Amino acid sequence: MTDTFVHIAQLNLQYAQQVVLDQLDWQIHRDEFWQIGGKSGSGKSALAKALAGLEKTSGTIRIHFDRESSRPPRVLYVSNWYQFTNLEGDRNFYYQQRYNKQQKNDTLTVYAELTAYANSENLSMENLTPYLDLFGPADLKNTQLIELSSGEHKKLQLIKALWLKPQLLIVDEPYTGLDKASRQKLNDFLDGLAADGVQLVLVTNETDLPRCINRFAEIEDGKLKQVDSAWMLSKDISRTPKELPQFLREEPAFSGDLLVEMENIHIRYGEKQVLSGVDWTVRKGEKWLLQGPNGSGKSTLLSLITGDHPQAYANHIRLFGHRRGSGESIWEIKERIGLISPELHWYFDKTASVWQAIASGFYDSIGLFRHVSYEKQQKIRQLLAFFDLTADKDRLITTLPLGKQRLVLLARTLIKNPPLLILDEPCQGLDQSQTALFNAVVDELCGFGKTLIYVGHYETQLPSCLEKRIVLEKGEVQVIEEINELAY
Amino acid sequence: MANYFNTLPLREQLNQLGVAEFMDISEFADGVSALKGKKIVIVGCGAQGLNQGLNLRDSGLDVSYALRKEAIEQKRDSWKNATDNHFTVGTYEELIPTADLVSNLTPDKQHSSVIDAVMPLMKQGATLSYSHGFNIVEEGKQIRKDLTVIMIAPKCPGSEVRAEYLRGFGVPTLIAVHPENDPQGKGLAEAKAYCVGTGGHKAGVLRSSFVAEVKSDLMGEQTILCGLLQTGSILSFDKMIEKGIEPGYAAKLVQYGVEVITEALKQGGITAMMDRLSNVAKIKAFEVSEELKTIMRPLFQKHQDDIMSGHFSRTMMEDWANGDKNLLQWRAATGETAFEKTPAGDVKISEQEYFDHAVFMVSYIKAGVELAFETMVEAGIKPESAYYESLHETPLIANTIARKKLFEMNRVISDTAEYGCYLFDHACKPLLADFMKTVDTDIIGRNFNEGKDLAVDNQALIAVNEAIRTHPVEKVGAVLRKAMTAMKAIKTA
Repeated sequence: MTDTFVHIAQLNLQYAQQVVLDQLDWQIHRDEFWQIGGKSGSGKSALAKALAGLEKTSGTIRIHFDRESSRPPRVLYVSNWYQFTNLEGDRNFYYQQRYNKQQKNDTLTVYAELTAYANSENLSMENLTPYLDLFGPADLKNTQLIELSSGEHKKLQLIKALWLKPQLLIVDEPYTGLDKASRQKLNDFLDGLAADGVQLVLVTNETDLPRCINRFAEIEDGKLKQVDSAWMLSKDISRTPKELPQFLREEPAFSGDLLVEMENIHIRYGEKQVLSGVDWTVRKGEKWLLQGPNGSGKSTLLSLITGDHPQAYANHIRLFGHRRGSGESIWEIKERIGLISPELHWYFDKTASVWQAIASGFYDSIGLFRHVSYEKQQKIRQLLAFFDLTADKDRLITTLPLGKQRLVLLARTLIKNPPLLILDEPCQGLDQSQTALFNAVVDELCGFGKTLIYVGHYETQLPSCLEKRIVLEKGEVQVIEEINELAY
Repeated sequence: MANYFNTLPLREQLNQLGVAEFMDISEFADGVSALKGKKIVIVGCGAQGLNQGLNLRDSGLDVSYALRKEAIEQKRDSWKNATDNHFTVGTYEELIPTADLVSNLTPDKQHSSVIDAVMPLMKQGATLSYSHGFNIVEEGKQIRKDLTVIMIAPKCPGSEVRAEYLRGFGVPTLIAVHPENDPQGKGLAEAKAYCVGTGGHKAGVLRSSFVAEVKSDLMGEQTILCGLLQTGSILSFDKMIEKGIEPGYAAKLVQYGVEVITEALKQGGITAMMDRLSNVAKIKAFEVSEELKTIMRPLFQKHQDDIMSGHFSRTMMEDWANGDKNLLQWRAATGETAFEKTPAGDVKISEQEYFDHAVFMVSYIKAGVELAFETMVEAGIKPESAYYESLHETPLIANTIARKKLFEMNRVISDTAEYGCYLFDHACKPLLADFMKTVDTDIIGRNFNEGKDLAVDNQALIAVNEAIRTHPVEKVGAVLRKAMTAMKAIKTA
């Protein structure tokens, strides 16, 4: 058939003992634009990578590139994680390095990175402008890759893919970490690409898709199963509500009323103003939603609270009643905070088992370096049961599907029953049903005197306990308000 | 100034060389309290200065930076490092008189002039800290008798000191108190508190002495960090080119191979590194390394003897006084080697291939690490100190070679290390010339296992394994590595 673009037959893929793809057949015709969704751990990403030639498989994968087309005859797979290097090609960055300024420790600027990419892929810098619209850091020439937020990294990764226009573009979790406005723009761009002769495969469970998507499938028992629409994709089985372990029903040990007091915060890197004039107070028991577009300064603001930002010493900040820089150590601060963030996840110890990952929460360390007492082990056991993770306790955290990894990290933040929970895009990369599940747990937890700061982009995907909102725009506070109605 | 070590009677020389006590974490229960509320002024804000300062401040201590007037006026990198992270920065005159503890983290070569400038400004009874004892031991700098002199030496590059701290861990650290300068008896308490402030207490701390640190560090720098790897890299590369291996492949095999091979060394010692080879290759590597050790032993001994007698530091300081004539000439020559000038090829080399195709490199690293360790211990340095300055340093410098090759590696390391590196390299290459004639591509460049029946004699293998595993560097290494097992593996893909 001449209009068959991809022909996959009898495709097999195994990870160790686990069969992921089993005699899978799949045809992609020229007018078809696919969404691959379904349950976590079903093999979606594995299939996408196999299609891009990134997995060791047996069976047939034939791609009939159009030799006449001006589009590069290539398959490009955009992974759900980003990666970048410093000037020496080194990927060994460390947690929160972006806040520690050191001369000669530079990474490429965004502009240099894009120029290098244009050279290696034979692209013209003149065509770049429309894509930058999606991304839009004001200062391409001076912003270094290491200074970008996680959302901005995602955008850069997408820009490169859109700009290249390969004949087959596969995007794994395209919307991860994107703010609302960018998400709509991305869909428009993808529609443009489709009209331009680029074949698309999106790996996601989202229902708000580019208009061109006209085929929907999931993987069941290692085989491809087509469904009628994005709404028909299988959801992860929702969790049966469980009773919260006793130790989490106790009010966290903090007697003051003010947890965070910030006055007139200014943070700049060289010429780049990241936060300016921010005032914010967080009182005990409050449940805050922190919002703002990618790069608006959300993570930087939070890093001032978690003791991760050296410039905290030059600003007026009181945490748990103590002025920053008055002789406290960052470990005394971290002890009172449970944190999840895309950065923490990105730099998390790849060699940790689920059990070790949760245990490390007692010490706020990335990696477990200490003996864990009997009493602490009991708490870990209770939390594992609460999150339905008991069966996975000895597995490496990296071998779990993303949704479960996030539950492990949530368990890690809770294990010490901290007064303040900071959940910075905890559902990034999770689909709607996983997000709903995660947020239901957050709601359950927050009933017992805890204080919450939650970062999330989509109003429909938030815990219902949130009651106040702070919105940042270009480093300034745009709104502080009570939330009366969350469901839009 | 007289070499301090040479002024000591033999009894005291042995006494100070022999200080090496691996400390239990319980000895650090007081945390940073000995320095709490005291004013710490760091002199110099390079990689060690900045990153130690960031950690100390994050541990609740009061840190500021004293820089030379020119560095401030010209807004040099050290000034930018300190001000970008919102530290107080001032001149020596402004800050040193207020300091309870002055931490000298400038390059070795500047120590003498820095101390001359700083000491008169220091207040009565304050503390002066170093992270390397060259100035005290080799230059014999006399410090005012009211001042306490301590050393805190993290055994990792500055960026790692910060990275490990931020993930809740630390890097292995040596601490010491100079016996001539501990008038109040507070030296050890402050050294421990400083060490806690940098996070070092979590990764294993060795109580050392200025003398033991310097005499082992100089030996380690020259023979292991970095002479050994420099010579090994050049010999391996030149041999492959001579035998017709594709230059891009050869360059990559060497540049990244040293890192991949020594990563196994870091995680499990020489045993783990050798275990990555097939049995036949392991026996071959063992034989080659024994031969190399016999040839190179006199050279290692000469280096250690020159370090102990002070001959090495004297000639090096003469070169400093001579405007670094030798150093600069040798540095330029390194930039001209064929290995340096051949870029790594765009070829995929799998992790295992770096071992299988470089049996010579494995043998050579084994020989060098064991020799350095043995020679130091024979000279009176304790096994714990010798371990840190031999096996422990090797992966760190290999990582630098993987990123920057030799010329840049030599610029990144201290001038002392660089000077010693060239001395070793220039003596070692002629020494191995005859041996290298016997080397073929089966042990460097091609897969040693290819076309071989991989069977081995049981007895031969048992004997080789026994010899590898019972070497003293493996015994002490097992204990010390246990304390730092949590250190992050360097990504080698």
